Amino acid sequence: MSDLLRVHDLTKIFGGVRAVDGASLSVQEGTITALIGPNGSGKTTLFNIVTGYLKADGGLVEFDGHDVTGSHPGKLYRQGLSRTFQQARIFPQLTVLENLVVAGGYGWRQLFTSRVGRRDRERAAALLEEFRLTDISDLLASELSYGQRKLLEFAAVLMSNPRLVLLDEPTAGVNPVLIETMERHIRERNAAGITFLIVEHDMTFVMRLCDPVIVLDAGKPIFAGEPALVQNNPLVLDAYLGS
Amino acid sequence: MRLPTALRGGVFVLLVVTLPMVGLQHWFLNLLVFVLMYATMSSAWNLVGGFAGYPSLGHAGFFGIGAYTIALIFKGHVLTSGYEPFLLLPVVGLVGALIGWPIALVSMRTRADVFAIVTITFLFVVQTLAFNLHGLTGGSQGASLPIAPFPAATFELPFYYVMAALLVLTMGLTFATMRSKVGLSLLSIRADEDKARGVGVRTTGVKVLAFSVSVGITAMVGAVWAYYQSFIYPQFAIDPLVTIAIVLMTFLGGRGTLWGPVLGAVILESGQQLLTYQLGAVQLYLIVYALLFLVIILLLPRGILPTIEDRLRMRRRRRRADSSAAPPAGRTPLSQSDSAALFGGGGS
Repeated sequence: MSDLLRVHDLTKIFGGVRAVDGASLSVQEGTITALIGPNGSGKTTLFNIVTGYLKADGGLVEFDGHDVTGSHPGKLYRQGLSRTFQQARIFPQLTVLENLVVAGGYGWRQLFTSRVGRRDRERAAALLEEFRLTDISDLLASELSYGQRKLLEFAAVLMSNPRLVLLDEPTAGVNPVLIETMERHIRERNAAGITFLIVEHDMTFVMRLCDPVIVLDAGKPIFAGEPALVQNNPLVLDAYLGS
Repeated sequence: MRLPTALRGGVFVLLVVTLPMVGLQHWFLNLLVFVLMYATMSSAWNLVGGFAGYPSLGHAGFFGIGAYTIALIFKGHVLTSGYEPFLLLPVVGLVGALIGWPIALVSMRTRADVFAIVTITFLFVVQTLAFNLHGLTGGSQGASLPIAPFPAATFELPFYYVMAALLVLTMGLTFATMRSKVGLSLLSIRADEDKARGVGVRTTGVKVLAFSVSVGITAMVGAVWAYYQSFIYPQFAIDPLVTIAIVLMTFLGGRGTLWGPVLGAVILESGQQLLTYQLGAVQLYLIVYALLFLVIILLLPRGILPTIEDRLRMRRRRRRADSSAAPPAGRTPLSQSDSAALFGGGGS
């Protein structure tokens, strides 16, 4: 297996804080990789840099063998690198279906075609079905519950047939039934060939689903390996609990 | 009750076309010309301020650019038919759009309140230029245009119909926007631009396009207005009050709707003109503007049409819920989709 994403010596400084401090890590194609670490360890900052939302102060990001450091988020998205946000970000004034359609990664020419055309419907139908949103596809997204918004956001970023999906706390604030649903969707999609990098605080979720696990502390990876080994690693325990 | 949009549009066009045929007085036709003028500008503003959520306060600057462009083109000309300036409107529109493009590229790097300030600054820059570039604009002494050689009895009619044509054009563009992925992209920008950028929406391109089209139309309206006035001064051709008026009209009728800006313009502009006729006071309407703005923000924050639409939707849903609550074993009075939405039960 090859590395789909490789981050080399990445640095980001906010004022005097080194949020990401020379971090190097890689995500192998076909895995569900977890990125964990205590609060403020730089997980989300790393996400933001990798997906083009923040400019790094140093270092390289390679996606699929190409240097994509500093690329525009939309360009990365169209190249197959999608992400979700911690606080499910959807478009509340658009319907559920439109939320999927707008994420289709359209080119200039398609902009002047029908808002939701027959081909868009066909493309979205399978996703709506898979995420059980078909019945509510014409509802405004603002009318959805928080958990459903998370599902919708997840479904929407799959519209572009991504190769790597970065999920930022997919289970935060979601009820247990939906957590199971989310887990099932991730597994199914992973089996279908999508690689995942997941930031998550729910450890049982991580232990069930992810392999390998990367632990970040103070802007640097301190451990990468099987989930079973994480729990006993003294460095990790030290990072979480303090010595 | 919802008439199909095509039918509503047809009825509206028919109404606008036939209205002057019933033998209206000059003052009333004049009023209608101004109502159409503001309806067109509000609709154009709506493309940027309503759909994309970028509250431009600089539109009156482009209105002035259009006015001075037509004045420059026809400087010292004598008109034969009187329709020549109308034929050159596309050129004026293009000039407005071309100036608007770089302005949008720069100013749309900012958002919301900062964007409003940047664009109103542009308005004052244009006004200052109009005051000071004597060679081009005649400065504060104003610029004259050739007087339209239309018969006095029907002098307003050509202006009325050209404004009407611009309004129909703008509403047509608005409709096309709403029905295409351009509109979908603009709405996603209004909702959450960073997220939109991250899911591959061509945010910069789409919003700059919308801005250019919007100010191009505004420039054309300015050109017709200048020709109608036949003499223009910087303080009236580039007037912050014009900007305020079109923003207020769009807010009143409903941002991001096809008919809202038109409705807002009809209410406010006819109201203002009638008040001016009756009171003779010129600036008193400004106080009414301020009060109205407060009332809108308090009672109808989304404007008249969206509020009505919401009410209708709620009622429709309630009715549907009532009818589906009947026999099937006295189940929950919510429709299936509603309950799914309430309980987040998508995945159970």
